Amino acid sequence: MITRREFNRLAALAAATAVAQARAQETAPAKAPAGDGIAWDKAPCRFCGTGCHVRVGVKDGRVVAIEGDQLAEVNKGLLCVKGYHVGLALYGKDRLTQPLLRRNGALEPISWDEALDIVAQKIAAAPEKFAIYGSGQWTIPEGYAANKLIKGGLSNNHIDPNARLCMSSAVTGFISVFGVDEPSGCYDDFDKCDVLIMWGNNMAEMHPVLFSRVIDRRTRGEKVTLIDLGTRRTRTTEYCDHYLEFRPSSDIAIMNGIAHLLLKNGTLDAKFVQQFCNFRQAPKDPGANPNAPLNGDPMTLEEYKAALALYTPEHVEKVSGVPAEKIQLLGDLFGRRDIRITSTWCMGFNQHSRGTNANRLCHGIHLLSGHFGKPGDSATSLTGQPSACGTAREVGTLCHFLPGGRMILNAEHRKDTENLWNLPEGRINPKIGHHTVLMWEKFCTPADKGGDISTLWVQVTNPGQSLPNLHKLFKAKAGQADKFLIVSDVYRTATTELADLVLPSAMWVEKNGIYGNSERRTQQWFRMVKPPGDARDDCWQLIAVARRLHDLGVPGMKDKDGRFLFTFKNEKGDEVPVWDWSRYYEINVDRVLFEDYRRFSRYKHKDLAPYEEYVKARGLRWPVVQQPDGTWRETKYRFAEFDDSYVKRGAGIQFYHSSTKDDKAQIWFAPYEKAAEEPDAEYPFWLCTGRVLEHWHTGTMTQRIPQLHAAMPHAYVEMHPEDARDGGFANGEFVVVKTRRGELRLPLWVNGRGHPPRGSLFIPFFDERLLCNDITLGDVDPISKEPDYKKCAATVMRAAPASAQR
Amino acid sequence: MTLGLLISIDPAANPESVRIALQARSEILSGERADRWLPVAVQTENDAECREIHDWISKLPGVAFVDVVHVNFESASASEEMPENSAKASVSP
Repeated sequence: MITRREFNRLAALAAATAVAQARAQETAPAKAPAGDGIAWDKAPCRFCGTGCHVRVGVKDGRVVAIEGDQLAEVNKGLLCVKGYHVGLALYGKDRLTQPLLRRNGALEPISWDEALDIVAQKIAAAPEKFAIYGSGQWTIPEGYAANKLIKGGLSNNHIDPNARLCMSSAVTGFISVFGVDEPSGCYDDFDKCDVLIMWGNNMAEMHPVLFSRVIDRRTRGEKVTLIDLGTRRTRTTEYCDHYLEFRPSSDIAIMNGIAHLLLKNGTLDAKFVQQFCNFRQAPKDPGANPNAPLNGDPMTLEEYKAALALYTPEHVEKVSGVPAEKIQLLGDLFGRRDIRITSTWCMGFNQHSRGTNANRLCHGIHLLSGHFGKPGDSATSLTGQPSACGTAREVGTLCHFLPGGRMILNAEHRKDTENLWNLPEGRINPKIGHHTVLMWEKFCTPADKGGDISTLWVQVTNPGQSLPNLHKLFKAKAGQADKFLIVSDVYRTATTELADLVLPSAMWVEKNGIYGNSERRTQQWFRMVKPPGDARDDCWQLIAVARRLHDLGVPGMKDKDGRFLFTFKNEKGDEVPVWDWSRYYEINVDRVLFEDYRRFSRYKHKDLAPYEEYVKARGLRWPVVQQPDGTWRETKYRFAEFDDSYVKRGAGIQFYHSSTKDDKAQIWFAPYEKAAEEPDAEYPFWLCTGRVLEHWHTGTMTQRIPQLHAAMPHAYVEMHPEDARDGGFANGEFVVVKTRRGELRLPLWVNGRGHPPRGSLFIPFFDERLLCNDITLGDVDPISKEPDYKKCAATVMRAAPASAQR
Repeated sequence: MTLGLLISIDPAANPESVRIALQARSEILSGERADRWLPVAVQTENDAECREIHDWISKLPGVAFVDVVHVNFESASASEEMPENSAKASVSP
C-alpha cells in the first residue's frame, strides 16, 4: 500500500509534470492522483497585483496544500515563493478572534454587538467627521459596500484606499492621456515584445511570475532584449542586456531625451501621431477649473518640439548620469518600426513627486513612436495589490471617484449614481473627500486646530506602517481623546497599536471574494474554510454597521423609497437580514453586490460579465462583451480595432474616451524637475525604500510564515562598499539612518541584495519593528496626491550600543 | 515538506546531464522530461533542507530557472506570531 508520504511525493510530481507538458505544449496533461481526501478549488493569490491563480487544497477544514493553477493564463501553473506559501498566511498563532476595545490603555475583549453599537454611535454622532481608509486588498464587493455606505448613505466622500500610496499616479497618467483609467494592453505583451523596458521596476522580485514568463521565452531560444532603467541594481538587472542607472527623478529627462531624438531624427510615427494624437502641457492657470491640472492646455507639434529642444543626449547625460550613447540607444529602439516594445513600471514611476508626469511621458514616447496598439507594443503599469485595479480604481473607492469611472465633481455622474442606487437627488456630496495623506493629517490634528476627521475606520490595510512620515501622519494620533480609530484586521499590526477598537476579520478563502488584477482581469473565488474564533467578513461588518445606523434613524441609510440601502433577497424574493451574522451566508452576498455594481461598468466601457461567468473562468479581462450567440468575450487590447468591440469599424485605433472628444490620445510635455528633497551637505545620501521578494508589503502575513521569515528575517539598510569604507562602517554593524523626519537604527548590509550606487541607501519596508516610514518624506505628487517613498535625503551615523539606548 | 518543481533547462545544455546530476540527491524524484522542462518532486524533513535543495538545483550546470509549482505543507511547522526582532538579538553589538 502506498504511504501518505509517497502519495504526497507523487502528487507533487504529477503537478510539476502537468506544467512541464503545458510548457512544451504537449497534449493530455498529467492528472494528480485522486483519493487523498483533499478538496481543491481555485482562487487568485492573496498577495500582489499579478493575479496568479492558485489551486487551494482543503482537508478537515484547513488549507493544507497549494499549487499553481495550470488553467490560469496569468501564471500557467507557476507560483512565486510567496504564492506557494500563501495558505500558511491564514494560520499565524496570533490571529485576531474577537473584537477588542481599548480601556485604560489596553485592548480588552468585547462582543460583536457592543462593537457594532460603538462604531454606529461614533458615526451617527458626526457623520461628516467620519472617514473610511480602505484598501487595494478589499474585494470588489467589500469596496463597493464601503463606497455605497459612505458616499450614498452618509453624503460624505472621505473614503480613500491605500492604493493612493501605490498607483494613483498611474491613474492620473492614464486618465490624462487616454481619458480613461487602466492599461490598454495586457500580460500577453510580455510574450510578444522584442524589447522589454523596465522603468524603475524590479520585476524579478516584485512580479516574479511575470518575469519568469519573459525569461521562459529565452529558454525557448527566442530573442527578447531586456533593459533595466533604475536607481540601483536589483535581481532584475542580472538578467538584463542593458542596465541604465540614472540619478533619482531624472527618468523624466530620459523620456524627454527619447522624444527629442524621435523628432530630431524624423523617426517618430508621423502618420500615427497625426491620426490619433494631440499635444498637451501643464495648464497656465491650474486653478481655472478643478480638471485643469488633469486636462492641461493644448500645444502644437512645433511648440512640443521647441520644448524638447533642450533634451539632447548630452544634456540628458548631465542631468541623469546615463551616457549619451545609451540615450541614443533608447531613441534608436523607439525609432524602429520593425520591433515591438513594451514598457512596464510600478512604484518607481508612481511613488514619485512627479509621478503623473512620469506616467504621461512614458505613454507619450510610445504614442509618438507608434509603439502602441499591437501585441507587444504597449506601455503597461503593474500594481502591487491584488485588487488595486478592481476595487480602488474600478469600484471607485478613491475620494474623488464614483463607481465605474465616474467623478464626484461631475454633476451628471452624481445624478447617474443616485439613480442607480435609487437615492434622492442631491444625496451625493458634490465636494471631493480627503485623499489619504490629507485624511490622516486631519485625523492626527486636534479638532480645534482644523482636524476635521474624528472617527476613522481602517479595513484590510496597515497605515501605521505604510503611511509616509509616520510621526506626523499616524503616531500624532496618540493621546488625542477625541479621535477614535477603528481597525478591521486579521492580526495585530502597527496600526492596531493605536486602535481604539479592533474588529477581527476573515481573510482570503475564509470568505467569498472577487479581485481585479493589473491587466483588467476580474477574478472570483468561493469561501473554502471558516475563519477562526469570532472573526467575520469585512463586508458583513460594513453592512452590519449600516444596519445599526439605519436603526439609529440615520436618514441616509434609506433609499428614496424608504428601503434600507443594503437590502438582499433570496431566490424566493424574501428579504434576508444578512446583517445578522448567522444568516450572512444564507445567500451569496458577493453575487448580489457584484451584480449591483456591474450596472456601473458600461459607462466607461469597463463592461463586466455576470457573476456566474467568473465562477467558470480563471478571470476575464474587461470590457467583457456579450456576443450574438450569448457568450461573453474578454478584451486583451483596448482601443485597437482588431480586438476591442467598441472601436469603430475601419478606425484602426480609437481612443473613444478622449478628453478632447476627438478620439485622440494626448502626448504630454513635462519638464525635468528636481526631487522634492535632494541630498545636501547635512544629509548627503539618497534614501530609497521598497519591497523584497520574500515579504509582501508590511509583512503582517509573510512575517508569520516561518519559511519566508527565515529567508528574510529583518529589515536592513543597503550601502555601497566605498561609502561604508569612507564612513568606517562594517557589514552587519548597527547604524542610524537619519532624515529631517526622524531616525532609525538598523543593521547595515554592505552592497546588500540591491547594490545601491555610491551616495544612496535602500531600506525595505516590510519590518514592523524597523519602520522605515518613520523617516520617509510626506510630500506628494501635486496631481495624483501620491507620496514619494523613493527619494529623500538622509545621513548615516554609527549607532550607540543597544545597551546604551535602554 | 513536499515540493513539485519545474526545472527549465538551458537550450545550449544537454538535458540528460541535468537529469544525471539530479540523481546525486535521494530527496529528488525526477519525472518525464517534456522538451526542455523537467518536472521533479522534492521531499525533505524540514524547510531549510527544501531551500538548500532548491538552491542546489538552481546552481547545477545547464539549469536556467527553477519554478515551484506545488507545495504540500501538511506536515510543515506551524506558523508563528510576529517574531521578535532577531536583528536586535543577533546583530546588536
